[in-house]
Amino acid sequence: MKVNLGPITRIEGHLNIETTVENNTIVDARCMGEMFRGFEVFLRGRDPLDAQQITQRICGVCPYAHAIASSYAQESVYKLNVPPNGRIMHNLIQGANHLYDYLLQFYQLAALDFVDITAILKYKGKDADLLTVKNWVQSELASGKSYPAAPFLPRLSGKYISDTDLNIGAIKHYIEAMEIQKKANAAAAIFGGKFPHSTSIFPGGCTQNARIDLISSYQSLIREVRDFYHNKYIPDVLAIAKAFPKYWEIGASKGGFLSYGLLPLTSEAESERVFSSGVLLDGQISPVNFELITEDVKHAKYSSPSGLKVKDSTLTPSPQKSGAYSWIKAPRYQGHMVEVGSAARILVDYHQGHNPKVKQLVERFAGQTGITPSKLNSVLGRYLSRAICGAIIADFLLDETERLDTKGPTIADIRIPASGEGFGATEASRGALLHYIRIKDHKIERYECVVPTTWNASPRDDNDQPGAMESALIGTKVNDPEDQIEAVRIMHSFDPCIACAVH
Amino acid sequence: MDRREFLKLGAMLSAAFGILNLPKPVIAALKKLDPKTIPKLIYLQGQSCSGCSVSLLQSGSPSPLTLITNYSQLAFHSDLSAVSGKKALDLIEKYISGKAGDYFLAVEGAIPEKMPEACIIGDKAFGQYIEAAAATMSGAIAVGTCASDGGIPAAEGNLTGAVSLREYYKKRSINKLVINLRGCSVHPDWVWQTIINMVKVGMPTLTDQGSPALFYSRKIHEQCPRYHDFQQEIFACKLGEAGCLFKLGCVGPDTAADCPNRWWNLSQNWCVAANAPCIGCAWPNFARKKDFPFYRISEQKNRPINRS
Repeated sequence: MKVNLGPITRIEGHLNIETTVENNTIVDARCMGEMFRGFEVFLRGRDPLDAQQITQRICGVCPYAHAIASSYAQESVYKLNVPPNGRIMHNLIQGANHLYDYLLQFYQLAALDFVDITAILKYKGKDADLLTVKNWVQSELASGKSYPAAPFLPRLSGKYISDTDLNIGAIKHYIEAMEIQKKANAAAAIFGGKFPHSTSIFPGGCTQNARIDLISSYQSLIREVRDFYHNKYIPDVLAIAKAFPKYWEIGASKGGFLSYGLLPLTSEAESERVFSSGVLLDGQISPVNFELITEDVKHAKYSSPSGLKVKDSTLTPSPQKSGAYSWIKAPRYQGHMVEVGSAARILVDYHQGHNPKVKQLVERFAGQTGITPSKLNSVLGRYLSRAICGAIIADFLLDETERLDTKGPTIADIRIPASGEGFGATEASRGALLHYIRIKDHKIERYECVVPTTWNASPRDDNDQPGAMESALIGTKVNDPEDQIEAVRIMHSFDPCIACAVH
Repeated sequence: MDRREFLKLGAMLSAAFGILNLPKPVIAALKKLDPKTIPKLIYLQGQSCSGCSVSLLQSGSPSPLTLITNYSQLAFHSDLSAVSGKKALDLIEKYISGKAGDYFLAVEGAIPEKMPEACIIGDKAFGQYIEAAAATMSGAIAVGTCASDGGIPAAEGNLTGAVSLREYYKKRSINKLVINLRGCSVHPDWVWQTIINMVKVGMPTLTDQGSPALFYSRKIHEQCPRYHDFQQEIFACKLGEAGCLFKLGCVGPDTAADCPNRWWNLSQNWCVAANAPCIGCAWPNFARKKDFPFYRISEQKNRPINRS
């Protein structure tokens, strides 16, 4: 039987999954990105400095990643001498955005896959937040409304956490995370101006000053967020893993892994990063070469040619194209399907033995949960990887603030050449993000974005190879073929963003 | 509703709540607004980036959770709702068909008028939902610049025929109350405090652009702490410099919003305080034209000095 799982909620955007289920097993899955705007077309002919603003509007969840990728791409064209403060501020803004995003993803988006919200009715303590929620749920359920306690109910059928204390603790952290994510964003806004959509990020740095009052406010907010990671987020991920151990075995993607590396250590263009870049294919790590990336459109709703390199990419929408089932293109690395995101970031770094903290945390948590590092390719593995990324980023940001020079410049002098081209690559919270800009006569001639969920939620490529999410779904056992909470849990572990994927 | 009607409406509504002689759909909407009951919200996303939804979660006081449970009833929101798939579609359908009681529609994102396939929820085009909702909803709030004016998806080069909610209704001769809450992204207070105003006081006074006057009646420039620099002709000429940012491209003189007083993200900052020119994200013409760039830095000689 065919079952549509869309609209998938608690993600960004418009995603449908068409599944074929036989004998309670998903035998086929098709990821459908269902919203298109056409950024690469309306960027053409614009002023190059519009790009880091316009591309942020691809995604309001991770806008800063787009601003940074666009800034890197423009820096390589303008050949800017980025002052150390400029790069540090980019890092402070982008890093804080990762910290907020992992919190939002785990608590606000994913937690309701596991946590039984109705357990709040059994709460007997005196915590004001929990009592408010308890009273609210009680009055809602007694109200006779069509849909009481929305948006938390109704929900999909499935086995949720049965332990009352664990549920109530998770509900408390859901409430607290909603407050803490604001602090991560407030920290980012100290240098970014505001969140979402920063106006102060430019190629070459940031317009904000490196004032000591700003630095100390930033540190104070990030310390609070860091504490939450260590005292709540990491223990909660481990508790979910303990309650649902079979999810180490569920949701593995069947290709390679790609990461562009995150948070440069110096302001040099080719600087080493906190998390290293690389592509992991069949257990072998290689350096990333953007020339090896192509985008297939056999099953995507475009009539433009398939299999083009990023630099040559074009975009002609064809909404009724025969055989096409998604607005998402199918990027491939040397023809290989790869997964991007938190697990890819950690696995690529770990396999290179690059960051000793990555190695240490992977081995500590693998030991505690009884898994091998290869199991990071799973539903639980993606959550654990975000927790590891968060812990490392929070420490790095606090160190980074000490390196700001309160008297130094924060932005390079921008001179835009008449023509040129450049790539900018970073890691959005959801994974590998690449921007390409080509300038002619002082205007954008071509702009191309290959975005994390474009990789993960891609449809079949020209060789009918499924995308990472499709491959993770196929073969999964489902208890209730109508609701398929198992499939929804797999989807959420990738944290898909369809506004990004299609753009 | 066109500009003229909005002007009329704004003037009349500013007089007093409950005055007679209002356009029929507005009277109907106002009758349904009972301060004792909390409006249910069906929050649907069109061609959006979810930035406005994420912004709504940045509210300081009241907290986002209190706003969702105490001050409003978020019957559906695709970023937060537990339910998905067919059960979610059933819930949306039940509201939109008028079988689940009164509700307000909240729309984030533009509507692809000329390419309905460019935004699909379940098995239907997004436009079909909001067209059907017009018959049953008490009114609508357009959350953010895309829903209010088309925004980035409607920028020059627009392939999908992206339009605002008001424009979409106007083209179908649908005359319903739409409150425009501009901003790319919108400020959480602009949305939540409008809802609280509707719950506790009644219909807010609207500007001639259909936005609550409480937030959108004055230009950024008029309220800017650097207005003095402007008067003294102390201009920033390079990015990162202090002074009035007008010569770098600031569109504070065109943009009506209260950012200079309200600030963003728990009152931590706002654009100009970070030395960043206002790019007019709450301006109806935001990002609209390719030859009207955000900044006047590159290629200065070819730049228009007289702004629109």
